[in-house]
Amino acid sequence: MHLASGPFKVPWSDYYGTLFDGLQRTVEYTVVGFAGAAALGLLVALMRVSTVRLVRLPATVYTEVFKNVPLLAIIFLTYFGLGSVGVRLNVFEAGTTSLILFYAAYLSETFRSAIRGVHHGQREAAQALGLRRVDSFTRVIFPQALRLALPGTNTMLVDLLKSTSLLVTISAAELMSQARLITSATFRALEVYLVIAGVYFALCYPLSQGLLWIERRVHAGLPISPRRRRLLRTAAALLTEEEALA
Amino acid sequence: MNRIEAALEARKETGVATSPSTEVAEPASKTFADAVPEESQSAGATPVVRIEHLCKSFDGRVVLDAIDLTVPRGKILSIIGQSGGGKTTLLRCINLLERPDHGSIQVNGEAVFADGRVVCPDLAALRRSVGMVFQRFNLFPHLTAVENVMLAQVRAGTPSRTALERSVSLLRRVRLAHRGLAYPDQMSGGEQQRVAIARALALRPSILLFDEPTSSLDPESTVEVLQVMRALAQDGMTMILVTHELPFARGVADWVVFVDGGRIVEQGPPEEIFDRPGQERTRAFLSNEAAAQPDA
Repeated sequence: MHLASGPFKVPWSDYYGTLFDGLQRTVEYTVVGFAGAAALGLLVALMRVSTVRLVRLPATVYTEVFKNVPLLAIIFLTYFGLGSVGVRLNVFEAGTTSLILFYAAYLSETFRSAIRGVHHGQREAAQALGLRRVDSFTRVIFPQALRLALPGTNTMLVDLLKSTSLLVTISAAELMSQARLITSATFRALEVYLVIAGVYFALCYPLSQGLLWIERRVHAGLPISPRRRRLLRTAAALLTEEEALA
Repeated sequence: MNRIEAALEARKETGVATSPSTEVAEPASKTFADAVPEESQSAGATPVVRIEHLCKSFDGRVVLDAIDLTVPRGKILSIIGQSGGGKTTLLRCINLLERPDHGSIQVNGEAVFADGRVVCPDLAALRRSVGMVFQRFNLFPHLTAVENVMLAQVRAGTPSRTALERSVSLLRRVRLAHRGLAYPDQMSGGEQQRVAIARALALRPSILLFDEPTSSLDPESTVEVLQVMRALAQDGMTMILVTHELPFARGVADWVVFVDGGRIVEQGPPEEIFDRPGQERTRAFLSNEAAAQPDA
C-alpha cells in the first residue's frame, strides 16, 4: 500500500476494478429497471384510462399502493419477504423487480396525465379518418402524450439511477455496495463517499442534460427517426416541384 | 338544382305540399329525395346517406327527435339552426362518432345503425368513406401538413410513395402546396382548415361532413375556406354542411334543412327557405342571423 498525500489516503488505483464493476452494475440496474418501469407504467396508465371499471380498478389500487410504500420496504419485501415464502429471487432479480414496481407506479401517473392531456379532438379526428384503435393510439395519441410526459419521465429516470444506491441494503454490488466494501477495508468513510457522490453526479448530470436536449428537440417537432427524415426530404422535393409547376 | 326546382314546381301545380308540413306526423311528405326527379335518382343509384327516425338524448335532454333525412349522391345539403339545436350531433351520428338511441342510418345503401344498435361490421371502413371537417380543425400537431394528409392513407394500406404524391396533389387542390412542410401551429386558421379538408379528402370519401368549418375563423380565412368548399361543390362532391354562413349555404346548397329543438322544423330548396320560410321559428331564426351578420 502506497502513501498518498493530503486528506486523500485511499489507494484508489487498487480499487479501479471494484469501482468499475459497481458502475457497470448501477448502469445495468438503471437500464433494466427503467425499461421495465416504463413498460409496466404505460400498461398501468392505459388500464387507468380504460372505460371499463374492472380494468381501471386494479390499476388504481396498484398505483396507490406502490406510490405510498417506501422503496426500501419494497426491496426488503421482494428479497427477504418473498424468500421466506419460497419465492427465491437472486439479488439482481429482486433489485430490478423492486425498482420496476416502485417506479412504474410513479410513471403511470405521469403517463396517465399525459394521455389525458392530449385534446379529445385528436382522438375524434383519428376516429373520423377511420384509423383503427391501435393506429389511433400509436400514431396520434402516443406521440403527443410522449411530448407531455417527457419532462416528468426524465426526472424519474435520474431519480431511479440515484435510488439504485438503496440496493446497498441487499448487497447488490452496485456503486454504493462497492463504496461500503472500500470503506470497510480503508476506514475512510468521508473520502470514499465523497468520491462515490462525485461518481453519481458525473453520471446523473450529463444524463439529465442529455435528456433536456432531447426534450427540446422533440418539442421543436424535429424528426428523430431516420425514416421520417427521409420522408420529409422526399416530400420537400415533391412540394418544390409542385411550386415550380404552379 | 334546376331539376329540384322543376320537381317542386310540378308538385305545386298538382297541389302537393306547398304549405310546409313540419309535423313529424307526415315527415315523408317532403324530403330531399322526393324533390330529386326520378330519373336522376336512378342515375345516382342509392342515396349516400339515409337517416330514418333518428333519436338521441344526453342525460334525458332530447337532442335529436325523430329526424328523417336523405342525401342523394352529388348533392349538397345544408343544415341550419341555432347552436345547441342538434345540428352537430346529427352530423356526428352519421359516422357514429356519436351513438344514436333509436332509428336507422344507411350509408351508401348499407345499414350502419338500426334499431338502436350499431350494425356496421367495420366501423373504420365506414369512417373512411365519410370525410369529416371539424370546427376546430383538429389537425395532428406533431405532424407536418403533408403528413397529416398522408397518415390515414398509409394506415389504410396505401404505399407511402403513392400516399405522399396524392397528399401533395390534395394540398395543391386546397392551394397549400407551398405550406406542405409546415406544422399546424405555424399555420393560420384558414390554412389549417384547408389542410383539414385535404386530409378529409385523402381517402376518397363518398361524402364530406362539415361541422361549422368557418366558425372559429377570421373573415379573411373564412373566405379562403369557403372558396375551397365552393370548388368542391362544383366538382360534384356530396356534402352535408352545418354552418352559420347563411349566404354561402344559400349559394351552394341544393337543399336546406332548418333544425330547432332536435326536430326538422322546415326543409326545402334554399330559395324557398330563405325567401319564403313557412314557419314562424324559421323566420325568427333568419332575422336573428341577419342581424348578427353585419355584411350579410
